[in-house]
Amino acid sequence: MGNLLGRSGRYLRMLRRLAVHTLSRELMFRGNFLVKVTVEVLWLAILLVFYKVVFARTNQLAGWDEPQYLFFVGCFFALNGLIEMLFLDNCNEFAELVRTGDLDGLLLKPVDEQFLITCRKFDWGCAPNVLMGAGVMALALYDMGWQVSLLRVGLFVLTFAGGVALAYSFMLMLTSVSVWMVRNQSLMEMWWLFSSLARYPREIFSGRLAEPIGMFFTFVLPILVVVNVPANVMVRALDPFMVGLVFASSAIALWVSRRFFLYALDSYRSASS
Amino acid sequence: MTPPEAIPRGLWLRKHAAIFRASLAERMTYRGDFLLGTILRFLPMLTTILLWRAVYEGSGQSQLSNFRYNEMIAYLLLVNISRMFSSMPGLAGGVAREVREGTIKRFLIQPMDLIGYLFLYRVAHKITYIITSFIPYALLFGVCAGYFDQMPGLGTFAAYLLSLVIAFLVGFFFEASVGMVGFWFLEVTSLLYIVMTLNFFVSGHLMPLDLLPEPWASLLRLLPFQYMAYFPAVVFLGKVTGLELLKGLLVGAGWAAAFIAISRLLYSRGVRRYSAFGG
Repeated sequence: MGNLLGRSGRYLRMLRRLAVHTLSRELMFRGNFLVKVTVEVLWLAILLVFYKVVFARTNQLAGWDEPQYLFFVGCFFALNGLIEMLFLDNCNEFAELVRTGDLDGLLLKPVDEQFLITCRKFDWGCAPNVLMGAGVMALALYDMGWQVSLLRVGLFVLTFAGGVALAYSFMLMLTSVSVWMVRNQSLMEMWWLFSSLARYPREIFSGRLAEPIGMFFTFVLPILVVVNVPANVMVRALDPFMVGLVFASSAIALWVSRRFFLYALDSYRSASS
Repeated sequence: MTPPEAIPRGLWLRKHAAIFRASLAERMTYRGDFLLGTILRFLPMLTTILLWRAVYEGSGQSQLSNFRYNEMIAYLLLVNISRMFSSMPGLAGGVAREVREGTIKRFLIQPMDLIGYLFLYRVAHKITYIITSFIPYALLFGVCAGYFDQMPGLGTFAAYLLSLVIAFLVGFFFEASVGMVGFWFLEVTSLLYIVMTLNFFVSGHLMPLDLLPEPWASLLRLLPFQYMAYFPAVVFLGKVTGLELLKGLLVGAGWAAAFIAISRLLYSRGVRRYSAFGG
Protein backbone atom coordinates (compact mmCIF):
# COMPACT_ATOMS: atom_id res chain seq x y z
CA MET A 1 0.00 0.00 0.00
CA GLY A 2 2.78 2.36 1.05
CA ASN A 3 4.67 1.46 -2.10
CA LEU A 4 1.61 2.23 -4.25
CA LEU A 5 1.12 5.61 -2.54
CA GLY A 6 4.80 6.39 -3.00
CA ARG A 7 4.59 5.54 -6.69
CA SER A 8 1.44 7.65 -7.12
CA GLY A 9 3.10 10.58 -5.34
CA ARG A 10 6.13 10.29 -7.58
CA TYR A 11 3.99 10.27 -10.73
CA LEU A 12 1.91 13.22 -9.51
CA ARG A 13 5.11 15.20 -8.86
CA MET A 14 6.34 14.28 -12.33
CA LEU A 15 3.02 15.34 -13.85
CA ARG A 16 3.20 18.69 -12.06
CA ARG A 17 6.75 19.29 -13.30
CA LEU A 18 5.82 18.32 -16.86
CA ALA A 19 2.86 20.72 -16.68
CA VAL A 20 5.06 23.58 -15.49
CA HIS A 21 7.75 22.77 -18.05
CA THR A 22 5.30 22.70 -20.99
CA LEU A 23 3.65 25.90 -19.74
CA SER A 24 6.99 27.71 -19.73
CA ARG A 25 7.66 26.40 -23.25
CA GLU A 26 4.20 27.52 -24.37
CA LEU A 27 4.78 31.00 -22.97
CA MET A 28 7.91 31.33 -25.11
CA PHE A 29 5.63 31.25 -28.16
CA ARG A 30 2.80 33.51 -27.01
CA GLY A 31 1.67 34.33 -30.56
CA ASN A 32 1.18 30.65 -31.31
CA PHE A 33 -0.73 30.23 -28.06
CA LEU A 34 -3.04 33.12 -28.97
CA VAL A 35 -3.72 31.62 -32.41
CA LYS A 36 -4.58 28.23 -30.86
CA VAL A 37 -7.02 29.91 -28.50
CA THR A 38 -8.51 31.88 -31.42
CA VAL A 39 -9.13 28.64 -33.33
CA GLU A 40 -10.88 27.12 -30.31
CA VAL A 41 -13.02 30.25 -29.85
CA LEU A 42 -13.97 29.97 -33.53
CA TRP A 43 -14.94 26.32 -33.07
CA LEU A 44 -17.13 27.16 -30.13
CA ALA A 45 -18.68 30.03 -32.09
CA ILE A 46 -19.43 27.64 -35.01
CA LEU A 47 -20.99 25.12 -32.61
CA LEU A 48 -23.14 27.83 -31.05
CA VAL A 49 -24.21 29.28 -34.42
CA PHE A 50 -25.21 25.78 -35.54
CA TYR A 51 -27.12 25.26 -32.32
CA LYS A 52 -28.89 28.63 -32.76
CA VAL A 53 -29.81 27.81 -36.39
CA VAL A 54 -31.27 24.47 -35.32
CA PHE A 55 -33.25 25.87 -32.38
CA ALA A 56 -34.60 28.72 -34.54
CA ARG A 57 -36.60 25.95 -36.27
CA THR A 58 -37.47 23.60 -33.44
CA ASN A 59 -37.96 23.85 -29.70
CA GLN A 60 -36.62 20.38 -28.91
CA LEU A 61 -34.08 18.01 -30.35
CA ALA A 62 -34.48 14.30 -29.58
CA GLY A 63 -36.17 15.24 -26.31
CA TRP A 64 -33.57 17.87 -25.29
CA ASP A 65 -34.90 21.42 -25.02
CA GLU A 66 -32.78 24.46 -25.90
CA PRO A 67 -31.03 25.13 -22.55
CA GLN A 68 -30.50 21.39 -21.96
CA TYR A 69 -28.89 21.04 -25.37
CA LEU A 70 -26.77 24.13 -24.70
CA PHE A 71 -25.54 22.43 -21.54
CA PHE A 72 -24.72 19.33 -23.60
CA VAL A 73 -22.69 21.47 -26.05
CA GLY A 74 -20.76 23.04 -23.13
CA CYS A 75 -20.14 19.65 -21.54
CA PHE A 76 -18.81 18.22 -24.81
CA PHE A 77 -16.58 21.24 -25.36
CA ALA A 78 -15.11 21.09 -21.84
CA LEU A 79 -14.56 17.32 -21.87
CA ASN A 80 -13.06 17.31 -25.33
CA GLY A 81 -10.88 20.28 -24.36
CA LEU A 82 -9.54 18.39 -21.37
CA ILE A 83 -8.76 15.31 -23.49
CA GLU A 84 -7.02 17.45 -26.10
CA MET A 85 -5.09 19.35 -23.47
CA LEU A 86 -3.82 16.28 -21.63
CA PHE A 87 -3.47 13.50 -24.19
CA LEU A 88 -4.20 14.24 -27.84
CA ASP A 89 -0.87 15.86 -28.77
CA ASN A 90 1.08 13.12 -26.97
CA CYS A 91 -0.85 10.30 -28.63
CA ASN A 92 -0.62 12.05 -31.97
CA GLU A 93 3.19 11.97 -31.79
CA PHE A 94 3.31 8.25 -31.03
CA ALA A 95 3.10 7.20 -34.70
CA GLU A 96 6.08 9.39 -35.52
CA LEU A 97 8.03 7.94 -32.58
CA VAL A 98 7.35 4.45 -33.95
CA ARG A 99 8.14 5.37 -37.56
CA THR A 100 11.45 7.04 -36.74
CA GLY A 101 12.47 4.66 -33.96
CA ASP A 102 12.68 7.53 -31.45
CA LEU A 103 10.42 5.48 -29.19
CA ASP A 104 13.53 3.53 -28.10
CA GLY A 105 14.74 6.52 -26.06
CA LEU A 106 11.46 6.75 -24.15
CA LEU A 107 11.30 3.00 -23.48
CA LEU A 108 14.74 3.12 -21.85
CA LYS A 109 13.64 5.63 -19.21
CA PRO A 110 12.80 4.32 -15.73
CA VAL A 111 9.21 5.56 -15.98
CA ASP A 112 5.99 3.76 -16.93
CA GLU A 113 5.81 3.70 -20.76
CA GLN A 114 2.11 4.55 -20.91
CA PHE A 115 2.57 7.53 -18.61
CA LEU A 116 5.56 8.84 -20.53
CA ILE A 117 3.99 8.41 -23.96
CA THR A 118 0.50 9.74 -23.20
CA CYS A 119 1.13 12.39 -20.51
CA ARG A 120 4.52 13.96 -21.18
CA LYS A 121 3.22 17.21 -22.65
CA PHE A 122 0.32 19.48 -21.77
CA ASP A 123 -1.27 21.35 -24.66
CA TRP A 124 -2.03 24.53 -22.77
CA GLY A 125 -3.63 26.04 -25.88
CA CYS A 126 -6.64 23.79 -25.20
CA ALA A 127 -6.94 24.78 -21.52
CA PRO A 128 -9.30 27.71 -22.28
CA ASN A 129 -11.69 25.18 -23.88
CA VAL A 130 -12.37 23.70 -20.47
CA LEU A 131 -13.18 27.18 -19.15
CA MET A 132 -15.25 28.11 -22.19
CA GLY A 133 -17.17 24.83 -21.93
CA ALA A 134 -17.76 25.50 -18.24
CA GLY A 135 -18.97 29.00 -19.14
CA VAL A 136 -21.48 27.62 -21.66
CA MET A 137 -22.69 25.06 -19.10
CA ALA A 138 -23.13 27.81 -16.49
CA LEU A 139 -25.06 29.93 -19.00
CA ALA A 140 -27.34 26.99 -19.81
CA LEU A 141 -28.00 26.33 -16.11
CA TYR A 142 -28.83 29.99 -15.61
CA ASP A 143 -31.15 29.94 -18.66
CA MET A 144 -33.14 27.00 -17.34
CA GLY A 145 -33.31 28.34 -13.76
CA TRP A 146 -31.50 25.27 -12.44
CA GLN A 147 -32.01 24.46 -8.75
CA VAL A 148 -28.72 23.63 -7.00
CA SER A 149 -28.44 19.95 -6.11
CA LEU A 150 -25.22 18.77 -4.45
CA LEU A 151 -26.01 15.16 -5.36
CA ARG A 152 -26.25 16.06 -9.04
CA VAL A 153 -23.08 18.20 -8.92
CA GLY A 154 -21.16 15.38 -7.20
CA LEU A 155 -22.37 12.77 -9.68
CA PHE A 156 -21.68 15.14 -12.56
CA VAL A 157 -18.03 15.53 -11.47
CA LEU A 158 -17.64 11.75 -11.08
CA THR A 159 -19.31 10.82 -14.38
CA PHE A 160 -17.37 13.60 -16.13
CA ALA A 161 -14.15 12.02 -14.81
CA GLY A 162 -15.46 8.62 -15.95
CA GLY A 163 -16.13 10.09 -19.39
CA VAL A 164 -12.57 11.44 -19.56
CA ALA A 165 -11.21 7.99 -18.57
CA LEU A 166 -13.33 6.31 -21.25
CA ALA A 167 -12.30 8.75 -23.96
CA TYR A 168 -8.64 8.39 -22.91
CA SER A 169 -8.89 4.59 -23.16
CA PHE A 170 -10.35 4.74 -26.67
CA MET A 171 -7.67 7.20 -27.72
CA LEU A 172 -4.94 4.95 -26.29
CA MET A 173 -6.27 1.97 -28.25
CA LEU A 174 -6.44 4.01 -31.46
CA THR A 175 -2.88 5.19 -30.77
CA SER A 176 -1.58 1.66 -30.15
CA VAL A 177 -2.70 0.57 -33.62
CA SER A 178 0.12 2.80 -34.99
CA VAL A 179 2.66 0.13 -34.04
CA TRP A 180 1.32 -2.13 -36.79
CA MET A 181 0.03 0.43 -39.26
CA VAL A 182 2.92 2.92 -39.14
CA ARG A 183 0.29 5.57 -39.47
CA ASN A 184 0.26 8.08 -42.28
CA GLN A 185 -2.90 9.97 -41.42
CA SER A 186 -2.87 11.87 -38.18
CA LEU A 187 -4.42 10.44 -35.07
CA MET A 188 -5.93 13.88 -34.58
CA GLU A 189 -8.14 13.35 -37.61
CA MET A 190 -8.98 9.75 -36.62
CA TRP A 191 -9.91 10.90 -33.14
CA TRP A 192 -12.05 13.72 -34.48
CA LEU A 193 -13.95 11.24 -36.64
CA PHE A 194 -14.42 8.66 -33.88
CA SER A 195 -15.35 11.21 -31.21
CA SER A 196 -18.07 12.60 -33.50
CA LEU A 197 -20.22 9.88 -31.94
CA ALA A 198 -19.98 11.60 -28.56
CA ARG A 199 -20.92 15.00 -29.96
CA TYR A 200 -24.71 14.55 -30.02
CA PRO A 201 -27.42 13.26 -27.66
CA ARG A 202 -27.74 9.47 -27.55
CA GLU A 203 -31.47 9.75 -28.19
CA ILE A 204 -30.88 10.58 -31.88
CA PHE A 205 -30.06 6.86 -32.31
CA SER A 206 -33.69 5.84 -32.62
CA GLY A 207 -35.50 3.73 -35.18
CA ARG A 208 -35.09 0.22 -36.53
CA LEU A 209 -31.59 0.65 -37.98
CA ALA A 210 -30.10 3.29 -35.70
CA GLU A 211 -31.13 1.75 -32.39
CA PRO A 212 -28.83 -1.30 -32.62
CA ILE A 213 -25.95 1.03 -33.56
CA GLY A 214 -26.76 3.20 -30.54
CA MET A 215 -26.83 0.09 -28.34
CA PHE A 216 -23.46 -1.05 -29.72
CA PHE A 217 -21.83 2.33 -28.98
CA THR A 218 -23.45 2.41 -25.52
CA PHE A 219 -22.75 -1.08 -24.21
CA VAL A 220 -19.95 -2.56 -26.35
CA LEU A 221 -17.82 0.46 -27.33
CA PRO A 222 -19.42 2.96 -24.93
CA ILE A 223 -18.30 6.20 -26.61
CA LEU A 224 -21.92 7.45 -26.57
CA VAL A 225 -22.03 7.64 -22.77
CA VAL A 226 -18.91 9.85 -22.50
CA VAL A 227 -20.78 13.18 -22.68
CA ASN A 228 -24.38 11.98 -22.55
CA VAL A 229 -24.32 10.63 -19.01
CA PRO A 230 -22.68 13.62 -17.25
CA ALA A 231 -24.97 16.02 -19.16
CA ASN A 232 -28.05 13.91 -18.34
CA VAL A 233 -27.08 13.64 -14.67
CA MET A 234 -26.95 17.41 -14.36
CA VAL A 235 -29.94 18.65 -16.37
CA ARG A 236 -32.22 15.70 -17.13
CA ALA A 237 -33.38 12.49 -15.49
CA LEU A 238 -30.90 10.89 -13.11
CA ASP A 239 -30.57 7.28 -14.25
CA PRO A 240 -28.56 5.20 -11.69
CA PHE A 241 -28.05 2.40 -14.24
CA MET A 242 -26.33 4.74 -16.72
CA VAL A 243 -24.22 6.26 -13.93
CA GLY A 244 -23.13 2.74 -12.93
CA LEU A 245 -22.45 1.94 -16.57
CA VAL A 246 -20.02 4.87 -16.84
CA PHE A 247 -18.11 3.76 -13.74
CA ALA A 248 -17.96 0.09 -14.76
CA SER A 249 -17.14 0.71 -18.43
CA SER A 250 -14.45 3.29 -17.64
CA ALA A 251 -12.71 0.86 -15.26
CA ILE A 252 -12.89 -1.96 -17.84
CA ALA A 253 -11.80 0.33 -20.69
CA LEU A 254 -8.79 1.58 -18.71
CA TRP A 255 -7.69 -2.01 -18.03
CA VAL A 256 -8.31 -3.26 -21.59
CA SER A 257 -6.60 -0.26 -23.20
CA ARG A 258 -3.51 -0.72 -20.99
CA ARG A 259 -3.27 -4.43 -21.90
CA PHE A 260 -3.71 -3.55 -25.57
CA PHE A 261 -1.07 -0.81 -25.36
CA LEU A 262 1.46 -3.17 -23.69
CA TYR A 263 0.68 -5.84 -26.29
CA ALA A 264 1.31 -3.26 -29.05
CA LEU A 265 4.63 -2.30 -27.44
CA ASP A 266 5.62 -5.98 -27.42
CA SER A 267 5.15 -5.98 -31.18
CA TYR A 268 7.29 -2.86 -31.63
CA ARG A 269 10.49 -3.37 -33.57
CA SER A 270 12.87 -0.44 -33.46
CA ALA A 271 13.34 1.40 -36.74
CA SER A 272 16.54 3.12 -35.68
CA SER A 273 20.03 1.89 -36.43
CA MET B 1 17.02 33.83 -59.02
CA THR B 2 16.49 33.10 -62.74
CA PRO B 3 13.53 30.96 -63.88
CA PRO B 4 14.25 27.40 -65.10
CA GLU B 5 15.08 27.19 -68.82
CA ALA B 6 12.57 25.74 -71.30
CA ILE B 7 12.89 21.97 -71.79
CA PRO B 8 11.74 19.75 -74.71
CA ARG B 9 8.08 18.62 -74.53
CA GLY B 10 8.89 14.84 -74.51
CA LEU B 11 11.22 15.27 -71.55
CA TRP B 12 8.63 17.45 -69.79
CA LEU B 13 6.01 14.71 -70.17
CA ARG B 14 8.36 11.93 -68.95
CA LYS B 15 9.39 14.01 -65.95
CA HIS B 16 5.82 14.76 -64.91
CA ALA B 17 4.72 11.15 -65.50
CA ALA B 18 7.51 10.09 -63.12
CA ILE B 19 6.28 12.55 -60.46
CA PHE B 20 2.75 11.19 -60.85
CA ARG B 21 3.88 7.51 -60.57
CA ALA B 22 6.01 8.18 -57.48
CA SER B 23 3.14 10.03 -55.75
CA LEU B 24 0.76 7.19 -56.60
CA ALA B 25 3.12 4.56 -55.11
CA GLU B 26 3.66 6.67 -51.97
CA ARG B 27 -0.05 6.94 -51.37
CA MET B 28 -0.59 3.17 -51.65
CA THR B 29 2.08 2.42 -49.00
CA TYR B 30 -0.23 3.16 -46.07
CA ARG B 31 -3.38 1.43 -47.38
CA GLY B 32 -4.34 -0.23 -44.05
CA ASP B 33 -4.32 3.09 -42.26
CA PHE B 34 -6.11 4.66 -45.19
CA LEU B 35 -8.90 2.07 -45.05
CA LEU B 36 -9.37 2.58 -41.29
CA GLY B 37 -9.56 6.34 -41.90
CA THR B 38 -12.15 5.85 -44.63
CA ILE B 39 -14.32 3.65 -42.40
CA LEU B 40 -14.12 6.18 -39.55
CA ARG B 41 -14.99 8.93 -41.99
CA PHE B 42 -18.53 7.53 -42.20
CA LEU B 43 -19.24 7.99 -38.50
CA PRO B 44 -19.80 11.77 -38.66
CA MET B 45 -22.10 11.14 -41.63
CA LEU B 46 -24.14 8.70 -39.59
CA THR B 47 -24.51 11.08 -36.65
CA THR B 48 -25.31 13.96 -39.01
CA ILE B 49 -28.13 12.00 -40.68
CA LEU B 50 -29.59 11.09 -37.30
CA LEU B 51 -29.23 14.62 -35.95
CA TRP B 52 -31.05 16.18 -38.91
CA ARG B 53 -33.78 13.58 -38.67
CA ALA B 54 -34.27 14.66 -35.05
CA VAL B 55 -34.30 18.34 -36.13
CA TYR B 56 -36.98 17.74 -38.78
CA GLU B 57 -39.04 15.61 -36.39
CA GLY B 58 -38.73 18.28 -33.69
CA SER B 59 -39.71 21.12 -36.03
CA GLY B 60 -42.79 19.29 -37.32
CA GLN B 61 -42.09 20.79 -40.75
CA SER B 62 -41.35 18.96 -43.97
CA GLN B 63 -39.17 21.72 -45.36
CA LEU B 64 -36.48 23.92 -43.79
CA SER B 65 -35.19 26.82 -45.93
CA ASN B 66 -36.29 25.15 -49.15
CA PHE B 67 -34.65 21.83 -48.18
CA ARG B 68 -36.80 18.75 -47.55
CA TYR B 69 -35.36 16.16 -45.16
CA ASN B 70 -34.24 13.90 -48.02
CA GLU B 71 -32.62 16.82 -49.81
CA MET B 72 -30.83 17.86 -46.62
CA ILE B 73 -29.28 14.40 -46.20
CA ALA B 74 -28.45 14.20 -49.91
CA TYR B 75 -26.79 17.62 -49.57
CA LEU B 76 -24.71 16.51 -46.58
CA LEU B 77 -23.63 13.38 -48.48
CA LEU B 78 -22.75 15.42 -51.53
CA VAL B 79 -20.58 17.93 -49.65
CA ASN B 80 -18.35 14.98 -48.80
CA ILE B 81 -17.80 14.48 -52.51
CA SER B 82 -17.17 18.22 -52.93
CA ARG B 83 -14.61 18.14 -50.11
CA MET B 84 -13.02 15.03 -51.59
CA PHE B 85 -12.08 17.27 -54.51
CA SER B 86 -11.43 20.57 -52.74
CA SER B 87 -9.69 19.64 -49.48
CA MET B 88 -5.89 19.78 -49.69
CA PRO B 89 -4.47 18.42 -46.44
CA GLY B 90 -0.86 19.38 -45.90
CA LEU B 91 -0.51 21.55 -49.02
CA ALA B 92 -0.03 25.01 -47.50
CA GLY B 93 1.92 23.66 -44.52
CA GLY B 94 4.15 21.70 -46.94
CA VAL B 95 4.97 24.79 -49.01
CA ALA B 96 5.79 26.80 -45.89
CA ARG B 97 8.02 23.94 -44.66
CA GLU B 98 9.92 23.84 -47.97
CA VAL B 99 10.62 27.56 -47.54
CA ARG B 100 11.49 27.36 -43.85
CA GLU B 101 13.80 24.35 -44.16
CA GLY B 102 15.34 25.55 -47.40
CA THR B 103 14.41 22.41 -49.40
CA ILE B 104 12.59 24.68 -51.83
CA LYS B 105 15.94 25.36 -53.48
CA ARG B 106 15.66 22.08 -55.40
CA PHE B 107 12.85 23.73 -57.36
CA LEU B 108 14.95 26.80 -57.96
CA ILE B 109 18.05 25.05 -59.26
CA GLN B 110 16.35 22.24 -61.21
CA PRO B 111 14.13 22.72 -64.26
CA MET B 112 11.01 21.97 -62.25
CA ASP B 113 8.20 24.30 -61.31
CA LEU B 114 7.06 24.09 -57.66
CA ILE B 115 3.37 24.78 -58.34
CA GLY B 116 3.34 22.36 -61.31
CA TYR B 117 4.97 19.65 -59.19
CA LEU B 118 2.55 20.14 -56.30
CA PHE B 119 -0.39 20.18 -58.68
CA LEU B 120 0.50 16.79 -60.21
CA TYR B 121 1.36 15.37 -56.80
CA ARG B 122 -2.10 16.39 -55.60
CA VAL B 123 -3.85 15.05 -58.73
CA ALA B 124 -2.17 11.66 -58.11
CA HIS B 125 -3.23 11.70 -54.46
CA LYS B 126 -6.78 12.63 -55.36
CA ILE B 127 -6.99 9.85 -57.95
CA THR B 128 -5.77 7.20 -55.47
CA TYR B 129 -8.09 8.60 -52.84
CA ILE B 130 -11.07 8.44 -55.18
CA ILE B 131 -10.15 4.91 -56.36
CA THR B 132 -9.55 3.50 -52.87
CA SER B 133 -12.61 5.15 -51.37
CA PHE B 134 -14.83 4.20 -54.31
CA ILE B 135 -16.10 0.99 -52.68
CA PRO B 136 -16.91 2.50 -49.24
CA TYR B 137 -18.48 5.57 -50.84
CA ALA B 138 -20.45 3.45 -53.32
CA LEU B 139 -21.65 1.44 -50.34
CA LEU B 140 -22.63 4.59 -48.44
CA PHE B 141 -24.43 6.12 -51.41
CA GLY B 142 -26.06 2.75 -52.11
CA VAL B 143 -27.39 2.54 -48.56
CA CYS B 144 -28.49 6.18 -48.73
CA ALA B 145 -29.88 5.99 -52.28
CA GLY B 146 -33.39 6.52 -50.87
CA TYR B 147 -32.43 10.10 -49.94
CA PHE B 148 -31.92 10.97 -53.60
CA ASP B 149 -35.44 11.58 -54.88
CA GLN B 150 -34.27 11.92 -58.47
CA MET B 151 -31.02 11.67 -60.35
CA PRO B 152 -29.88 14.74 -62.29
CA GLY B 153 -30.25 14.88 -66.06
CA LEU B 154 -27.24 14.64 -68.36
CA GLY B 155 -26.83 18.42 -68.58
CA THR B 156 -27.01 18.90 -64.82
CA PHE B 157 -24.59 16.02 -64.27
CA ALA B 158 -22.11 17.56 -66.72
CA ALA B 159 -22.42 20.87 -64.84
CA TYR B 160 -21.87 18.97 -61.58
CA LEU B 161 -18.66 17.38 -62.88
CA LEU B 162 -17.50 20.81 -64.01
CA SER B 163 -18.29 22.25 -60.56
CA LEU B 164 -16.15 19.49 -58.99
CA VAL B 165 -13.23 20.44 -61.23
CA ILE B 166 -13.75 24.05 -60.12
CA ALA B 167 -13.86 22.84 -56.49
CA PHE B 168 -10.49 21.14 -56.98
CA LEU B 169 -8.93 24.16 -58.69
CA VAL B 170 -10.25 26.69 -56.16
CA GLY B 171 -9.24 24.43 -53.25
CA PHE B 172 -5.74 23.76 -54.62
CA PHE B 173 -4.81 27.28 -55.68
CA PHE B 174 -6.39 28.89 -52.63
CA GLU B 175 -4.36 26.72 -50.30
CA ALA B 176 -1.23 27.06 -52.43
CA SER B 177 -1.65 30.84 -52.08
CA VAL B 178 -1.91 30.51 -48.30
CA GLY B 179 1.25 28.36 -48.36
CA MET B 180 3.13 31.04 -50.34
CA VAL B 181 2.60 33.41 -47.42
CA GLY B 182 5.35 31.25 -45.86
CA PHE B 183 7.91 33.27 -47.86
CA TRP B 184 7.07 36.24 -45.63
CA PHE B 185 6.06 34.66 -42.31
CA LEU B 186 7.85 31.23 -42.39
CA GLU B 187 5.26 29.68 -40.08
CA VAL B 188 1.76 29.55 -41.56
CA THR B 189 0.35 26.59 -39.62
CA SER B 190 -1.44 28.85 -37.17
CA LEU B 191 -2.93 31.00 -39.91
CA LEU B 192 -3.92 27.82 -41.71
CA TYR B 193 -5.79 26.48 -38.67
CA ILE B 194 -7.88 29.64 -38.52
CA VAL B 195 -8.55 29.62 -42.28
CA MET B 196 -9.52 25.93 -42.30
CA THR B 197 -11.78 26.28 -39.28
CA LEU B 198 -13.62 29.17 -40.89
CA ASN B 199 -13.69 27.35 -44.22
CA PHE B 200 -15.57 24.41 -42.67
CA PHE B 201 -18.40 26.80 -41.89
CA VAL B 202 -18.35 29.33 -44.72
CA SER B 203 -17.98 26.69 -47.47
CA GLY B 204 -21.31 25.14 -46.45
CA HIS B 205 -19.69 21.92 -45.25
CA LEU B 206 -21.52 22.01 -41.92
CA MET B 207 -24.96 22.87 -43.34
CA PRO B 208 -26.47 24.50 -46.43
CA LEU B 209 -25.75 28.24 -46.47
CA ASP B 210 -29.50 28.82 -47.10
CA LEU B 211 -30.23 27.95 -43.47
CA LEU B 212 -28.36 30.98 -42.20
CA PRO B 213 -30.33 34.18 -41.63
CA GLU B 214 -29.95 37.07 -44.06
CA PRO B 215 -27.69 38.87 -44.88
CA TRP B 216 -25.23 36.10 -43.92
CA ALA B 217 -26.52 33.54 -46.42
CA SER B 218 -26.25 35.97 -49.39
CA LEU B 219 -22.92 37.30 -48.18
CA LEU B 220 -21.35 33.83 -47.94
CA ARG B 221 -22.63 32.97 -51.41
CA LEU B 222 -20.55 35.87 -52.76
CA LEU B 223 -17.29 34.36 -51.43
CA PRO B 224 -15.15 31.77 -53.25
CA PHE B 225 -15.40 29.25 -50.39
CA GLN B 226 -18.90 28.12 -51.40
CA TYR B 227 -17.30 26.50 -54.47
CA MET B 228 -15.43 24.07 -52.21
CA ALA B 229 -18.56 22.41 -50.77
CA TYR B 230 -21.92 24.15 -51.21
CA PHE B 231 -22.03 24.93 -54.92
CA PRO B 232 -21.37 21.43 -56.40
CA ALA B 233 -23.94 19.92 -54.00
CA VAL B 234 -26.73 22.34 -54.91
CA VAL B 235 -25.93 21.91 -58.62
CA PHE B 236 -26.39 18.13 -58.26
CA LEU B 237 -29.67 18.64 -56.40
CA GLY B 238 -30.95 20.86 -59.21
CA LYS B 239 -31.35 23.90 -56.94
CA VAL B 240 -29.31 26.07 -59.31
CA THR B 241 -30.46 25.92 -62.91
CA GLY B 242 -30.45 27.84 -66.20
CA LEU B 243 -28.72 31.17 -66.30
CA GLU B 244 -28.03 31.10 -62.58
CA LEU B 245 -26.09 27.85 -63.04
CA LEU B 246 -24.10 29.26 -65.95
CA LYS B 247 -23.33 32.38 -63.94
CA GLY B 248 -22.28 30.27 -60.95
CA LEU B 249 -19.91 28.17 -63.07
CA LEU B 250 -18.39 31.24 -64.70
CA VAL B 251 -17.88 33.00 -61.37
CA GLY B 252 -16.36 29.77 -59.93
CA ALA B 253 -13.98 29.52 -62.89
CA GLY B 254 -13.17 33.20 -62.34
CA TRP B 255 -12.28 32.54 -58.71
CA ALA B 256 -10.09 29.60 -59.76
CA ALA B 257 -8.30 31.82 -62.30
CA ALA B 258 -7.89 34.52 -59.66
CA PHE B 259 -6.28 32.09 -57.21
CA ILE B 260 -4.01 30.69 -59.95
CA ALA B 261 -2.84 34.25 -60.62
CA ILE B 262 -2.46 35.04 -56.90
CA SER B 263 -0.45 31.87 -56.18
CA ARG B 264 1.81 32.52 -59.21
CA LEU B 265 2.31 36.13 -58.22
CA LEU B 266 3.08 35.27 -54.60
CA TYR B 267 5.49 32.54 -55.72
CA SER B 268 7.45 34.78 -58.05
CA ARG B 269 7.56 37.59 -55.46
CA GLY B 270 8.45 35.09 -52.73
CA VAL B 271 11.31 33.55 -54.73
CA ARG B 272 12.76 37.01 -55.28
CA ARG B 273 12.63 37.60 -51.54
CA TYR B 274 13.88 34.13 -50.57
CA SER B 275 17.39 33.68 -49.26
CA ALA B 276 19.04 30.46 -48.06
CA PHE B 277 22.21 30.01 -46.07
CA GLY B 278 24.46 27.02 -45.57
CA GLY B 279 24.93 23.89 -47.68
